[in-house]
Amino acid sequence: MIPHDILTLYSAKMIEYGIAILFLLLFIPFWKYVQGPSLATVPAHATVRQPAMAGTDWFPIPFDRLFHRGHAWARPDADGLVTVGLDGFAAKLVGPLASVGLPQIGAAVGQGERAWRLVADDGRAVDMLSPIDGTITEINGELLKTPEAAQADPYGRGWLFRLRPQRLRANSTSLLSGTTARRWMDEAVAGLQRTLSPELGALAQDGGVPVTGMARIIDPDRWDVLARTHLLTDDKEDANA
Amino acid sequence: MSNSTEGALPSRSWVTDKIFLGLPFADYLKSLATPGNFLAGLIIAIGVPVIVYRFAFGLGASTNLSQTNPWGIWIGFDMLAGVALAAGGYTIATAVYIFGLKEYHSIVRPAILTGFLGYLFAVLGLTADLGRPWNLPVPLFISWGGPSVMFEIAWCVVLYLTVLGLECLPPVFEWLGWKKALVLATKATIGLTVLGVILSTLHQSSLGGLFLMAPTKLHPLWYSPFIPAYFFISSIAAGLSMVIVESGLSHRAFRSRIDHHVDLDKLVIGLARGASIVLFCYFFVKLQGVADGGRWSLLATGYGYWFLVEVLGFILLPSLVFAWAARHANVSLIRWTAAWTVLGIIVNRLNVSVIALNWNAPERYIPSWMEVTVSITLVTLGITAFRWIVNRMPVLNEHELSGGRQI
Repeated sequence: MIPHDILTLYSAKMIEYGIAILFLLLFIPFWKYVQGPSLATVPAHATVRQPAMAGTDWFPIPFDRLFHRGHAWARPDADGLVTVGLDGFAAKLVGPLASVGLPQIGAAVGQGERAWRLVADDGRAVDMLSPIDGTITEINGELLKTPEAAQADPYGRGWLFRLRPQRLRANSTSLLSGTTARRWMDEAVAGLQRTLSPELGALAQDGGVPVTGMARIIDPDRWDVLARTHLLTDDKEDANA
Repeated sequence: MSNSTEGALPSRSWVTDKIFLGLPFADYLKSLATPGNFLAGLIIAIGVPVIVYRFAFGLGASTNLSQTNPWGIWIGFDMLAGVALAAGGYTIATAVYIFGLKEYHSIVRPAILTGFLGYLFAVLGLTADLGRPWNLPVPLFISWGGPSVMFEIAWCVVLYLTVLGLECLPPVFEWLGWKKALVLATKATIGLTVLGVILSTLHQSSLGGLFLMAPTKLHPLWYSPFIPAYFFISSIAAGLSMVIVESGLSHRAFRSRIDHHVDLDKLVIGLARGASIVLFCYFFVKLQGVADGGRWSLLATGYGYWFLVEVLGFILLPSLVFAWAARHANVSLIRWTAAWTVLGIIVNRLNVSVIALNWNAPERYIPSWMEVTVSITLVTLGITAFRWIVNRMPVLNEHELSGGRQI
């Protein structure tokens, strides 16, 4: 017998061939499993499905959300509760977050009233407005550990809280959706571009993406004032309200 | 606006600006008073005198190495594990610059810096291990040993350390504001990457090839003609896992310096997919090694159980967990699995070079406290150097000199 002759069917070779065939048989389904689409399981109320989008290249608008002009969204869910989050514009406006100050469960919030705050890593905070009236029933605990999720995926796992609406139908008349929301977002982007510094303007022209912390780039010293102006929580807006 | 106030800013010295992070010296010193720095300072304060002691009084006085066990943890941990875990540099650079996976661009620089520091401190560990380190230039330049695996490793490591040093230059030039040098360094990127992958392929496998010369010393379950392939394949998984671990730690420690418009979670999931596939293949190649040697009966021994712990617990299981976590976008689990894989690579290298080497010799090697101290000190020095550089140079974020694009 010639050792290691490929045609010699002694037991060790049989095992080696068997392992090679087993590997090939298992590798194909394993590869398919690993490379397959994400099966991320999340609660039904915080479904991270990627909704149909429309709008500017910078800030697409999901068709299934209702938008408040303070750059928050609301989504009525099948169980009668409403999920609330911040939109892509707000996510990119403020720079890296140290935390998201969420309301407590059981707290009452009102449409157009301050409901939560974004605390940046330089310590400055910007309040944001609730899109509807209601009582908080659940907050997104993941944001307490990873606040950056609110910016990385504002329409998915970055949702902020759920609430039991008090008068959803009446509140909805003040909210924007679909093409109306798209036009409003276009105006918001145009308003921001008018205040852009030259370097951010170049980003827009070359087809780039908006960077996180746009307000800081435009005005590093008073970025929080600029952010409040766009999020409708500056003092002047309060006085008008 | 920021531009209007720029002229009114008081001018600061170069040292204050570049070295002391723009702080007055007294404030800079105060900023160093953190628990992490205290711990690092304590380790270095103990470790550096031990290193001095080793060079003053020799290996016999400071280690438990002997003629029977000439290789200890300075080879097994600092050199073999250190080089494997530093493989993230060539793995990510190759993925981005050669395979065109541009979405991983933002993690090239930290991966290369980790690789450079890993090799640098591995070489320092090797220097401590050599009986006569001052003779190191002899095999490199004077008395060539062409057929020797050690000769190839020595040259490859020297050249690759140089390549990694050159690949680290763009952020250094950006930090210094040397635009022309930056352009030159940028143009060399592709060439250096190609050189890096060639050299890495050679010496990562050759480190395993060293043990082909010790078939009677290495336990049969770990000895295999495939051992160079084991070392090379596992270095890819080690590099990917180390990049996942490093990016997670950097994300926490250097939060304000991270480029926040990069979706790091997405990149981590991609790296986990890669690590999962590589570990899956690695497991079957290891299985072939056992079959080829006909060593099945040895699995029912003490060493066999330990071998199964390594192969099932540190190769197959992490592969499956990586796959599940990537599929379910569970980034936290991916990070823990990456740390687990890093530990598995360290276990493997220690098994091959220390635990299963001389397994049948009556004299067993247990490292001395000074050997352990030197290893911990070298790791601490590496982490401290990484922090010092990242706090000053554009490694984790984009920089205006490169036009907002990482090089």
